[in-house]
Amino acid sequence: MSQPKIIEMNKVSTIYEGEKTPALFDINLSLNEGELVCIIGPNGAGKTTLLETLNGLLPHTKGEIRILGQDIKKKGIYLRKQIGYLPQEFTVDPLTPFLVKDIILMGRYGQIGLLKKIPKNDYILMEESLKLMGIIDLKDRPIGKLSGGQLQKVMLARVFAKKPALLFLDEPFSNLDYHTTHRVILQISRAHDQNHWTTLLVMHDLNLIPERCNRILYLEDGRIVKDDIPEKVLTEKLLEISVR
Amino acid sequence: MSLTIFTILPLKTLVIILAGTCLAGVVCSLMGTFIVRMKLTSLGFCMSHAAFAGSALGLALSLPPLWFALAFSILVALILGPLTEQSRLQPEIILGILFSLTMALGLTFLNFIPDSALSSTAMSILWGSILGISSLEVWYLAILTFSITLIIILFFKEFQAIAFDRKMAEASGIPTRPFYYLILFLTGITVAFSLKLVGGLLIFALIVNPASAAYQFFHDFKKILIFSPLFGIFFSLSGLVLSFLLDLPVGSAIAIVSSVGFGISVLFSPKRRKG
Repeated sequence: MSQPKIIEMNKVSTIYEGEKTPALFDINLSLNEGELVCIIGPNGAGKTTLLETLNGLLPHTKGEIRILGQDIKKKGIYLRKQIGYLPQEFTVDPLTPFLVKDIILMGRYGQIGLLKKIPKNDYILMEESLKLMGIIDLKDRPIGKLSGGQLQKVMLARVFAKKPALLFLDEPFSNLDYHTTHRVILQISRAHDQNHWTTLLVMHDLNLIPERCNRILYLEDGRIVKDDIPEKVLTEKLLEISVR
Repeated sequence: MSLTIFTILPLKTLVIILAGTCLAGVVCSLMGTFIVRMKLTSLGFCMSHAAFAGSALGLALSLPPLWFALAFSILVALILGPLTEQSRLQPEIILGILFSLTMALGLTFLNFIPDSALSSTAMSILWGSILGISSLEVWYLAILTFSITLIIILFFKEFQAIAFDRKMAEASGIPTRPFYYLILFLTGITVAFSLKLVGGLLIFALIVNPASAAYQFFHDFKKILIFSPLFGIFFSLSGLVLSFLLDLPVGSAIAIVSSVGFGISVLFSPKRRKG
């Protein structure tokens, strides 16, 4: 019996309002449970658009997307509760009036639901994820006072605390130093295995592709040009193109 | 006029005036907390001008201005919500056009008000006339303040998440659109019911200034939600006193006091201190 598909995209196109050329064109993709897939490609290839189309934040204009067997257009709110999403280059105003602990807990609000108090267990999850990222000392700090790297760690902790079924990370290492990056890669791989997540990672630096990655999608001009195991995708020619 | 007005006025009238002032201060600054944080100030300006236009139309037709103000500001909220979200036009363009249109409509409707009423009632919707507030209007404000407070308490999680970042709130599985529209709708009602205090031209000072002042002091959103209404009360009452002292329109006095209050809060803001 074939494995159930966690993500299915059938002939999906996404066009930004006012644009004529689709940012994503005729994408067909299916992912099984437990896959760790990296998305690579040059700037403007459609990597971020693919993630945002998949979680329904950006409505697709053609085709069908099914996440966990359900249509993202019809069940977007429900499905986004199962997706841990880290956007690219998330920034906050220095005067932003929220504490780190609030930001982490907010990631769980969708799952908690309307008119319900925050359960005690959510506070435990918040603390655990802060410890996992090594930033428990930042718990009561204002989010606007953090450095870019600290903010990135907080946003990663928020995603981990959500305990999602799917993980969509858009360039999660962009603000992290060398040592932290390697620690975070390890943590993502470990958490991915322990929680049986299906993970999609948008990567810019090909040297940082986790060993655990079992598949790479290479995007160019809004199309999936290659979709295979890392050894077959990361050819010398491709590496040359992507560093250009 | 001077502070002796407080001794001349019957106690019941004084209580109505003070209660109306405090309630308008609370409800406006409570909504201001979201308007300021979500950068919806231009949108709010449009709503206050729409309420002014509605009120003027009501007076021109010799019908209750409050209900017309309410209808106009809610209508603008309902139009602006989807327009700013979905339209291909830049929100600033839509807001700019509506801003001038509502103002022009308001001034046009004022021209149709019978001459005898123009000097008193019509001017009161422009600049506010707290002395003309009725006990029924204070009750409306009290019910509105209670309802908005209750809504914020019940849906605090969702409002907090949306106030942090709407896209991230949506990504976490919160249906943000109904809450976004609710904020616009409640702001529309708040503007309409508070018009009597500050007037259509300056009502937004009471929405923006106390909340902006509270944002200068705290890093915790809950504290801002508590202190913003307290600043609202303080600025409204101080403005009221100033208006009696210097014989100014209440709306202008509140706008001046709250603007000065905001300036002081920026100067003393611990959030802006370096080190």
